[in-house]
Amino acid sequence: MIPALEARSLSLVRDGTTVLEDVSFTVAPGEIYALLGGNGAGKSTTLLTFLGFLAPSCGSVLVNGRAVAEDVDGARSAIAYLPEAASLYGHLDAYENLGYFLDLAARKVSRAAMDEALDQVALPREARGRRMQSYSKGMRQKTAIALALLRDTPILLLDEPTSGLDPVAIDEFHDMLKGLADAGRSVLMVTHDVYGACQVADRVGLLRGGRLVGSFEAAAGERIDTETVHAAFAAREAA
Amino acid sequence: MTALLREARFMLRDRGAMVWIALALLLSAAATGFGIAEVRDQRATIAVLLEEDAKDRANAISKYDAWGDAAYDAFHLTYAPPSKLAFAALGQRDTAPWLHRVRMLALEGQIHEADTRNADFGLIGRFDFAFLAATVAPLLLILLLHDLRAGERVAGRHDLLVATAGRALRLWLPRAGMRFAALALALLLPFWAGALVEGAPALQVLAASGLVLGALLVWWLIVEAVGRRPGTPAALLAALVGIWLALALILPAVAKTAIEASHPVPDGAEILMLQREAVNDAWDKPKAATMEPFLARHPEWRAHGTVDKPFEWKWYYAFQQVGDMQAEPIVRAYREGRLARDRAAGIAAFLSPASLVERGFERLAGTDTQAMIGYEDRVRAFHAELRAFHYPLLFRDPPYDPLAFEKLPRYQPPR
Repeated sequence: MIPALEARSLSLVRDGTTVLEDVSFTVAPGEIYALLGGNGAGKSTTLLTFLGFLAPSCGSVLVNGRAVAEDVDGARSAIAYLPEAASLYGHLDAYENLGYFLDLAARKVSRAAMDEALDQVALPREARGRRMQSYSKGMRQKTAIALALLRDTPILLLDEPTSGLDPVAIDEFHDMLKGLADAGRSVLMVTHDVYGACQVADRVGLLRGGRLVGSFEAAAGERIDTETVHAAFAAREAA
Repeated sequence: MTALLREARFMLRDRGAMVWIALALLLSAAATGFGIAEVRDQRATIAVLLEEDAKDRANAISKYDAWGDAAYDAFHLTYAPPSKLAFAALGQRDTAPWLHRVRMLALEGQIHEADTRNADFGLIGRFDFAFLAATVAPLLLILLLHDLRAGERVAGRHDLLVATAGRALRLWLPRAGMRFAALALALLLPFWAGALVEGAPALQVLAASGLVLGALLVWWLIVEAVGRRPGTPAALLAALVGIWLALALILPAVAKTAIEASHPVPDGAEILMLQREAVNDAWDKPKAATMEPFLARHPEWRAHGTVDKPFEWKWYYAFQQVGDMQAEPIVRAYREGRLARDRAAGIAAFLSPASLVERGFERLAGTDTQAMIGYEDRVRAFHAELRAFHYPLLFRDPPYDPLAFEKLPRYQPPR
């Protein structure tokens, strides 16, 4: 089976600094892969290479088996990207924002479908027609997640997706992600939330200083053991 | 088309962009309105003077019984009516004279005594549509487009936008294109309305619109080249305003100074003084000092060229013409110098889109240096006709007959 996402010996040097070094992993269709790491570990950078914003210095990144460098358009059209602290347009309301971005992605979506996605992320109905500049951070994040859902792409790249969400919303979000994976979508999420990653991911990769220093996989029907990952994470960070 | 509609809807919700576009519409309407008011004022002035012109002349002629007296008191209106596109570019009409009431006297002083009219406009320039399109519009375009990318980077939306659009061009081209089109329309709509009201020829309006779009396109490329660079919106704006200052203001000013220094030209006042002194001195000179050079130019009057009395009209008008003849070298230098400066300015304009647009508009509107010199030449030709009409009467001195003035030449502006 062709992996939805694949990093092959990915290295990246920016301004003389090695940001990523020999990182390799795959994300299978229907799999949730979480990249864990502290600040500056190279998590977001890894996502940006899959989107073609950063070109690998060495190695390659592939989306659906095609090198991103050869087909950036194809890669981007297969991916819904949720940046960290996604900032949509404050002078537009949620519907207008969704409409604008979906139109940009050449996707026509009805108001009912938007409402359905916004219901899924539990954005209050009365807020949807208000300008987003009045939204809380969590409400903005929920709208951005709804956008990623409405893109209806086979792959989701999520950068700290639960940032700003309350605990209940985080649980709901995790359930939603699992549902998406069950429906065959691949998810690569980067986070420093060990607990969250272990709750939702099928596999967890541990990044430190641009190197993939650990990998954890859930046993069939089980969750990844949080304490094991946390211990590895803490040990590596301390190191 | 979908992308343009999307960006049109988006732009309509962007208060900042709409403010600049509304300002462009307002400024364009104001510039067009001022221009139309000015050319209508000029036409009204011409119409009033035209109405009085024949009446005044008839009065002057009827008062006298000598050819010389009648010629002396008769004024003849000459004028360059504003073209139908002049409302958009008043150009040299602000500094070069376009209306005279000439007499049979020495001409050059009469032409150039009005040279210093509206000197203030010569210095600061007038706020007409050409100035707006050439100088102000690029600044509005810069304000609209400078932060397309940088603004999104600062807001943290850039990567999401580009990743969603797939290709950067699918996003930035329609977004910038829509703003460009909105600005161009805001500028051109009042201009087109003005052109319709004034009855300007469609081809000229089309060419003028092409100039506006062409200049904006050049500025779009400049903004695009700078706007792609990394940097904050403020830094990019500062860089672009610097380029605008250099291309729209500093470079033309430096070029003007350099051209004036390298092409010295006598001014109109010098011509006026030289010609008047020549005429005034003639009173104190022997008659022959006037008649010899005059008859050398007009040998056809040699048989009638003797001046016996202390005052004869033919001598009086001869020394008027000799005054012009003495001023000829400086007049030629002035004319050629202005044309040489204009040619040099035409070449220098290729360094500045703003100058190129202004010159293009002035050419189309017939308000450029060449058009104004053309008018002066027509005044000279008309004055030569006046002399050709009067000299047989003055030199042959037939019995005075006011009916002869029915054949007096009339100035006709070119159609």
